[in-house]
Amino acid sequence: MDSQILRLPAEQLFQEELDALIKAEKDPVPEGWKMSPKSVKTYICGGKVGKTVITPKYIGHERLVEIAIATLVTDRALLLIGEPGTAKSWLSEHLTAAINGNSSRVIQGTAGTTEEQIRYSWNYAMLIANGPSQEAMLKSPVFTAMEEGAIARVEEISRCASEVQDTLISVLSEKRISVPELSLEVPAKKGFSVIATANTRDKGVNDMSAALKRRFNIVVLPAPETLEEEMNIVKTRVEQLSGSLDLNAALPKDAVIEKICTIFRELRNGETLDKKQKVKAPAGVLSTAEAISLLCNSMALAGSFGNGEISDEDIAAGLQGAVVKDDDKDSVAWKEYLENIMKKRGSSWSGLYKACRELNE
Amino acid sequence: MSGINFFGIRHLSPSGAFYLREYLNETRPELVIIEAPSDFGDTADDIVKKETKPPFAILAYTQSVPVRTILYPFAEYSPEYQAIMWCHENSVGFRFMDLPSETFLALSDKRIREAEEIADNAENDSDDFDNRSEITEHKPDVYEMLSEKSGDGSHETFWERTLEQCANADAYREGANLFGKNIRELSEKTGYDAEETALREKYMRSVIRKAVSGGVSPEKIVVVTGAYHVEGLRSWDIPEELSELPSLSSLHTLMPYSYYRLSTRSGYGAGNKAPAYYELIWDGLCRGDRMYAANAYLSKIAAKTRESGSAASSAQVIEGLRLSESLAKMRGGKIPSLRDLRDAAETCIGEGSFASISIAAADAEIGTKIGELPEGVSRTSIQDDFYRLLKDLKLEKYRTVTAQDLKLDLRENIRAGTEKSAFLDLNRSFFLHKLRVLGLDFAKWTPSSQDNATWSEAWVICWTPESEIVLVESALKGDTVELAASFAIKETVEQAAEMSVIAGAIEDAFCCGMPAAASYAVSALQAAAVDAVSFEELAKTAFRLSNVMSYGDIRRADCSAVEPILKQLYYRACLILSGSCVCNDDASKAIAEAMNMLNSTELAQSFLDTEKWTDALKEVASRDDLNTRLSGLAAAILLERGQMTNDELKTEVSRRLSKGVPADLGAGWFEGLTLKNRYGLIARLSLWESLDEYLASLDDEEFKRALVFLRRAFADFSSGEKDSIAENLGEIWGLNGAEVSEIVNAQLDTASQEQIASLGDFDFDL
Repeated sequence: MDSQILRLPAEQLFQEELDALIKAEKDPVPEGWKMSPKSVKTYICGGKVGKTVITPKYIGHERLVEIAIATLVTDRALLLIGEPGTAKSWLSEHLTAAINGNSSRVIQGTAGTTEEQIRYSWNYAMLIANGPSQEAMLKSPVFTAMEEGAIARVEEISRCASEVQDTLISVLSEKRISVPELSLEVPAKKGFSVIATANTRDKGVNDMSAALKRRFNIVVLPAPETLEEEMNIVKTRVEQLSGSLDLNAALPKDAVIEKICTIFRELRNGETLDKKQKVKAPAGVLSTAEAISLLCNSMALAGSFGNGEISDEDIAAGLQGAVVKDDDKDSVAWKEYLENIMKKRGSSWSGLYKACRELNE
Repeated sequence: MSGINFFGIRHLSPSGAFYLREYLNETRPELVIIEAPSDFGDTADDIVKKETKPPFAILAYTQSVPVRTILYPFAEYSPEYQAIMWCHENSVGFRFMDLPSETFLALSDKRIREAEEIADNAENDSDDFDNRSEITEHKPDVYEMLSEKSGDGSHETFWERTLEQCANADAYREGANLFGKNIRELSEKTGYDAEETALREKYMRSVIRKAVSGGVSPEKIVVVTGAYHVEGLRSWDIPEELSELPSLSSLHTLMPYSYYRLSTRSGYGAGNKAPAYYELIWDGLCRGDRMYAANAYLSKIAAKTRESGSAASSAQVIEGLRLSESLAKMRGGKIPSLRDLRDAAETCIGEGSFASISIAAADAEIGTKIGELPEGVSRTSIQDDFYRLLKDLKLEKYRTVTAQDLKLDLRENIRAGTEKSAFLDLNRSFFLHKLRVLGLDFAKWTPSSQDNATWSEAWVICWTPESEIVLVESALKGDTVELAASFAIKETVEQAAEMSVIAGAIEDAFCCGMPAAASYAVSALQAAAVDAVSFEELAKTAFRLSNVMSYGDIRRADCSAVEPILKQLYYRACLILSGSCVCNDDASKAIAEAMNMLNSTELAQSFLDTEKWTDALKEVASRDDLNTRLSGLAAAILLERGQMTNDELKTEVSRRLSKGVPADLGAGWFEGLTLKNRYGLIARLSLWESLDEYLASLDDEEFKRALVFLRRAFADFSSGEKDSIAENLGEIWGLNGAEVSEIVNAQLDTASQEQIASLGDFDFDL
């Protein structure tokens, strides 16, 4: 592995685990897959193969993972829907890493994504010089996935314009791409499928057409159900990330993770964990992913400017940015939360409370 | 051991039922012994009648109080039911072998008493235990362990996957026996219910022995029992002494049952959360189509979804089926289980959200099927009484499934020949009210359209099989409709936490024409009234009692017993009125309502001491330290009753609405004043002059505060009323009334709306 690379793709990061699973395979492997559906589940949800421990990549809701894998066994495409930060892309990356050993066939959906990026485009220099030819063609990840019988990922599909989204309809129902310039029809090989992810709550998303939705099996990924589950996720991910980012700081203590998750959950749900008090929820989305990046951020602050131990000030700085995203109302909600909830939480919270209040004066 | 054929089952198991029939066809026994209370044998004749349609249940209940019950539900796919049917079709004898229901009832009585004692000792409070109980089979941690270990999420799914999907009778029989054996070994460690199990099995062994000694050769006997008991019955041939069994005298009856009840009560056996789906499995087995249940389940969901207006295509059903199959494959199965199907339906038909298919799923899993019994079967004494009364009161023609209206005139029909026919409608009303008290949805009481029509009542009558079920269950409360209703009222009174609930029970008792129950409730109320401290509660109760007394004559009821208690409540309420008026604006709403109620009570009943009430009101009206809204209301009531003169009002207005008084208090008082008697207020010009003077005296900041409250006070005035006010104001200001009215009634323009919206952020605590 190359330690110079900022972020390795999943199949390289967890190569050992994948190899161990493939080696120990006993169940039938679907065509185009590297391992059986059961092993894919073990890879995602964790377990043990021989002596190799498989770390869980997606925590909680194992049944949803099962449904996702079972969908891909049939030739249906999979659509993962959820609020921002519920590990949609994370899950789709690991699914393709396990199934194909390659998670890099990906199209990132943006407002600027064009139809060509989903089908194919041309190397115009060659096109003009030699006319249309196979060599002059630039194949999209979906195109190559069809040729190879593999899975292509379309991230943030709802960010694309509707007409661009709909390009996928013909791909998913006909399972072939035609290239009229070359009078060519490229049929998909067995094993081809698409995993798309879509946001429900963000700004700047386009509705998906019903016709497109019907071509997908839809799995909704929820926010973590319990505080413990969320803490577990945050802890695991922060450990993994801090290893690869060289943050020079000690890992956050459980008490710190608990505080962050508590604040995030309370603000997200609009009430305190014990359900006794209502809380004004800020407009922005407070996802688990943000809790993770907040902690990594705090670690970076502590490692670069502090004594290597996360302090209340480090967290406060991160919290301020995470909660108060765009307008004044967020700021009001955050201040109210500080005064009404956090202030009354007793001595273990007082340090954090003071640090947060200083930033708000 | 020696030759007897055991067939272990689960109680509501389609595969069990289907393979049991196959097994019986193969072994051709001469006698079938079935695990069910041995005294239920007399119901068999009715069970096999062709008019009997499952689901039905056998209900056994004690004759003494507290009533204990046990319930044995049967569905079409119950192995026991199919065994009985097989014997009937093939003219083979069968008998039941479990402990008699009387013993079960005695055991459950003992268990409940012990539990109550423990609860009493632990908390020393009188938690009311549900005194109906059912046999709970061995459901210790073993099943939880199984749910966890199997990875299926629940042991139901595990069972379905491993046993309901068996390919043949032998596999089922072996599987169930092994399952029962393992569960048995595990639960022996936990020791749950061991004593009762031992007793039951001992008894069952003795029944088998008796059958063998009666001359049937063991090879020709098939024993149908819960898989759990198979091991316990194998050594049936060792003779053992049977000690005397505890017993409580009881009765039992067949009753129709519904899938809905089957799914909510998991009484006998391991229960059945999805009866409609299990019926699909049964249908599939009978058709020889293993995938029938899966296909039918998903199609049903799609059809139901379409019915409710959402789109669900056949393509989605097909995709759902494929997904469910691949989910089943992940666990090594071929046939999808209910869990796979439901998840697939959620993903493919519900587009990822269960909420959008939840109603359809409930329909496909639970369903609305209700069983039927032939006429005449299932006649508990209360049913007899019910049908007799129905005939007596000429209500039989209403016993249909289409809803019909019934209007009753409770007055004496003077043209009628006999007393009975003269009061027919009144007696009908008594009867229908009794049914209402029993929770029978046979007749629904609709509020009368005519106001104060004390002598007329409107009902909508519609017969459903569910009514029959409730009626049979009411047998536990008493032998006749009247006894059961009075028991129900008594129960309500005993469990009542609030006084007004008891008052409601008194009302009910009078509606039912049951003076004895009423006087019981009245004395309970007397006891409760001593401790009552809340004014709202007292006033509400007094109001209900006053209603009872007002309508007493028409129902030919003697209300004299109510009079003293009403007096008592009334005095208490008057005494604590002023104390209750120390409250915030939120709480004042309830008290204002209560004050109105008490006022109407006082006006309706001449025997109450008027002075007590007006004194209390005067105190509230004059004091400054109470909630101003309520003080205002008190003044309004006094004004209405003629207990406050115009001069007094004028003084009061200027005192309350003077510049020194905080604006919210002043305006709050005014709001209270306008809660009542608006025309009287509008007519008093002096009032509006005072208000005008007051407003003129306020500075800008104070005016803003007052405005918010006054706006609220005038919010629910009708435009006619506003017109009149406008006229008044016009007169005061020397303007044309119509012009002012136009301004007052005009819609807000955007600018003023914005101004008002900005008041939302106005800080009243300053």
